[in-house]
Amino acid sequence: MLEVAEAPAAAGQPRPMARFDALFERFYAELFGLIYRVLGDPMETEDTLQEAFLKLSEHHELQLRPDAEVGAWLRRVAMNLAFNRLRADRRARARLERVGRLELAAGGASPDGDDGSPSQQVLRAEEQAAVRRALAELPERQRECLLLRHAGYAYAEIAATLGIAVGSVGVLLARAEHTFRVTYRRQTV
Amino acid sequence: MTSPSVCPDVGVWRAWLDHEAGLAADGLDLEAHLHTCPGCRQAVAELEQDAAFARATVGALPPLLASAGQAALARERLAWRQRTAAASRTATAAGRPGGAPTRTPQERITMTIARISTPWRVAASGLAAALVVSVVVAFSPGARTAAAAFLAQFRSQEVAAIEVTPQTQADITRTLSMLNNLGTVQGTTPSAVRGNEQRDEQRSVSLDEASREVGFTLKSPDPATLPAGLSATPRVNVTPAFQQRFTFSKAKAAAYFQSTGHPEVSLPDKFDGATLVVSIPAAAMLQYGNDASREALVIGQAGEIVVDVQGNVSLDELRDFLLGLPGLPPAAVAQLRQIRNWNDTLPIPVPVDKVHWQPASFPNGGQGLLLNDNSGVGSAAIWHQSGHLYGVAGSLKATDLKRVADSLAAH
Repeated sequence: MLEVAEAPAAAGQPRPMARFDALFERFYAELFGLIYRVLGDPMETEDTLQEAFLKLSEHHELQLRPDAEVGAWLRRVAMNLAFNRLRADRRARARLERVGRLELAAGGASPDGDDGSPSQQVLRAEEQAAVRRALAELPERQRECLLLRHAGYAYAEIAATLGIAVGSVGVLLARAEHTFRVTYRRQTV
Repeated sequence: MTSPSVCPDVGVWRAWLDHEAGLAADGLDLEAHLHTCPGCRQAVAELEQDAAFARATVGALPPLLASAGQAALARERLAWRQRTAAASRTATAAGRPGGAPTRTPQERITMTIARISTPWRVAASGLAAALVVSVVVAFSPGARTAAAAFLAQFRSQEVAAIEVTPQTQADITRTLSMLNNLGTVQGTTPSAVRGNEQRDEQRSVSLDEASREVGFTLKSPDPATLPAGLSATPRVNVTPAFQQRFTFSKAKAAAYFQSTGHPEVSLPDKFDGATLVVSIPAAAMLQYGNDASREALVIGQAGEIVVDVQGNVSLDELRDFLLGLPGLPPAAVAQLRQIRNWNDTLPIPVPVDKVHWQPASFPNGGQGLLLNDNSGVGSAAIWHQSGHLYGVAGSLKATDLKRVADSLAAH
């Protein structure tokens, strides 16, 4: 019922670099999955990834590095941007609650039953908000390591992303998991 | 492999739990060591607890996969932002950040709108239709009334999104255009909504004047929330209230259905002579623009759209008839039927191929929608609060736009 005159097609649109396109195609979906875990909101996730790729588009030399290296850089930058968003925004709490309500309204919450192992359940919206808040409290490396590991990344990928030796992932992860548990418990008491 | 005499550190044990200890263990038989070392058994048990807790919390955060289509749209949005960033750098380098030639206010608005690409305009169109029916006015007179009537079958107290595809939109438009053949239109459209050629009606007024004209105190945003570079003083236009009447005619309808090969459809007797009265409230539009960039922001405020029926037909019956018209897309009809408080909910068509939407809360109990076009060109919010309909649309991110919307207050 609403019809708006079509704007003329964007003429003279510069053809973006093929290399940048390839990187975007290769990493966008992966990063979306990762960052959505942090933000829990598709719009915010997309905004964050826009920032990350915009930064990449300004790093011409970086784009020419091997895919794995660029991927590691993108993950790191996107996670930083996402956690900054989560922490710096004075209204983070309000937003987390809003996201919680939205997910509840959308029926995204799981039943409260005790059946099934905890890891197989989808967290209830308030729990998700609490998890994200606790994550945001962790030191940068710890939270990134924790998030990557529990989003399914292998130790080698985590090491590449964080720029550390593979042998150091275990100790960082152990520390992160312990700090997380303490932080989560403290804030939900 | 040998059992280490010195205990491995927690990092090794943590990696071992993930079957990733290969390198770190360096050939040590960790299992054998665990059997003989109570201290390490204790450490591993604690590590397992921490890991299980993280798995059940961080690991259970729901993932959301971006489809190829979403990724493509995000790429398009990014390309637009890259172009904008490049253009902005060029303008700054040329030393003329406000570098566009001086234009008249009218040209400025037209230019601003022309530069905003289709997705934003589509996003904004839902808003505009609800606020001033200015988009609907682009239709032929008959279709205009029909569309307005359809939109306004509801005394607007709240808003709801109706997801539409391009095909759905076309079907709805075609079906509603057909309504013109079922009766006659009466009532005038105020010149202000006829089009931009009515220069005098586009004159800007003060916020106080506009408040008097619309009959309630208009709100304005906190200037600190406006995108940088936008003028803090808006152009304010008022569209006067108007009413349109659509009177059903059984004879006209019968002739039409016969001619289109749908003799099985007929206008029920009681509809003959029934009149649908659509009252569109006065609306104020606050427009913030800037020649130098693509930034633009429009804030619309209006009262309720009210629909009444005169004659032997109830609004319920009329709604059933309209929703049963042949040619209306079933998906859209189903969504409209699902609206619980249909007689006070204004449906906002959301083109799902171009726009994300989500329900959102606004200050003072306002409930509405937050729309975000996929190409990143713009976003919009529309909500109802205390008997007034508010809308904000602009070429900015949804999160920034929401801040503007949340800051609206009577000045």
